Amino acid sequence: MSFQRRLSTGEFVILAEMHTPKGVDCTDMLANARRIKGRVDAITIPDMDNGVMKMSALAGGVLIQQQGIEAIIHVYCRDRNRMALQGDLLAAHALGIHNLVVVQGEEMSSGDHCAAKTVEDIDAIGLLEAVKSLQAGRDMAGLELKGAPDFIIGCGMARCADDAAFEAELESLRKKVEAGAKFIVTPPVYNLEFSTPVIKKVAALGVPVIASVFLIKSVGVARYIATNEPGAHISEDMIKRIRKAQDREMECVRIAGEIIAGLKGVAQGVQIVTLGWEHRLPAILDHAKL
Amino acid sequence: MITAERKPMEEILEYVRPCQRILLVGCNECVTVCAAGGRKEVGLLSSALQMAAMKEGRTLEVKEITLERQCDPEYVEELASQVGDAEAIVSMACGCGVQELARRYKSMRVYPAVNTKFMGASERQGVWAERCQGCGDCLLGITGGVCPIARCSKQLMNGPCGGSTKGKCEISQDVDCAWQLIWDRLKALGVEDRYEENIPAKDWRTGRGGGPRKIIREDLAQ
Repeated sequence: MSFQRRLSTGEFVILAEMHTPKGVDCTDMLANARRIKGRVDAITIPDMDNGVMKMSALAGGVLIQQQGIEAIIHVYCRDRNRMALQGDLLAAHALGIHNLVVVQGEEMSSGDHCAAKTVEDIDAIGLLEAVKSLQAGRDMAGLELKGAPDFIIGCGMARCADDAAFEAELESLRKKVEAGAKFIVTPPVYNLEFSTPVIKKVAALGVPVIASVFLIKSVGVARYIATNEPGAHISEDMIKRIRKAQDREMECVRIAGEIIAGLKGVAQGVQIVTLGWEHRLPAILDHAKL
Repeated sequence: MITAERKPMEEILEYVRPCQRILLVGCNECVTVCAAGGRKEVGLLSSALQMAAMKEGRTLEVKEITLERQCDPEYVEELASQVGDAEAIVSMACGCGVQELARRYKSMRVYPAVNTKFMGASERQGVWAERCQGCGDCLLGITGGVCPIARCSKQLMNGPCGGSTKGKCEISQDVDCAWQLIWDRLKALGVEDRYEENIPAKDWRTGRGGGPRKIIREDLAQ
């Protein structure tokens, strides 16, 4: 069953995030993808996220689909103007990619090409409107297309440090849904008690919510997130649990699996983010009993 | 200077239509020089707004004032005693001035009456042209005093492109090819060799690539 169909029929969807290589050797990415074939509904491919220059998500998505696994690619406005965005969207459809997530690109200054010029010709709402227009057979200049693309398009949700930020983000998501977003992908969930009501409020916007689950890799990473991402709500108990574990890596895998299992019935799906540890995805799925 | 042009009358009217009393604020700096928002333009716009309001069967009271510099808090403070019972402030300064008014007079609606255009120079009476984009890392020392970022349509660092014909840019016969100007200047200065050296990909961090910019002079900042 396709990702789109599972989403529309209310089935729990399982996504895994995979990064394209910085270079042309796709061996690891494709090997990791094959390991989870049949166990996830689709693989999400970020596009040069964190401002790191890599192979484009469009190419990554095509390569993943050549393995017989559905792909969802990120699109955003930092690096491409409306011409390039629309051209790539037409290319994506022609190459068989029908799932998109509009995300907010990281600031260029935080990446590895910080001297680059930021484009931001249009914003996320503009991009969603552009996709809507392309699907209706016209480009952003109002000119008719020879064949209209067909996508299901979602949007990312920003991490919110406090209630005021969440209210503002909720309003931004509402606008994105009005502009055509058909699902929302949340930032990583580390604390079900905190995130459950948040997800419910987001779901009230009327589109499926897919919760991200990030594989914490060590006590250091957990501590870093707890300190630097105030909206993450990583508990001291969780950090203690990782620290005391005999096999800390496996404990992190177990925690990710538990969070995924706990999100069933809360969100309409999960997106597992392993950031370089994609080889651990099968184990995470095992622990989540998926 | 920062150049500006007055907004279309209908757009300004749209802003002030719900108001009976407004404060119309000009600026004695750049917008005065480019004849967009100085004392004279404040007077003209004031009359035009009042006449337009009368035509619509309304009365509009306009208090006119032109500050020395709207981008300077010291002068913006002078408005405190003038705001009175105005329902909105309409600024004829560049975007810096409008924002300074909005920052200082938080409870007031502040509307722009001009469109801020570019940093430019006067070519002749009544004509201003773009000269600088504030990239934060001036190249003029190696490009013969002609800026390829502000004056080349494609912002080429190593031009010209194939669209340069008889010293003009392909976008319009009215636009000089910046790289032709650069070459002519380098030749006149006897430093044509400089043209042979490729200018590397620009580091845009000094421009908007690094987000909104700020200058802090430690020796002056309090």
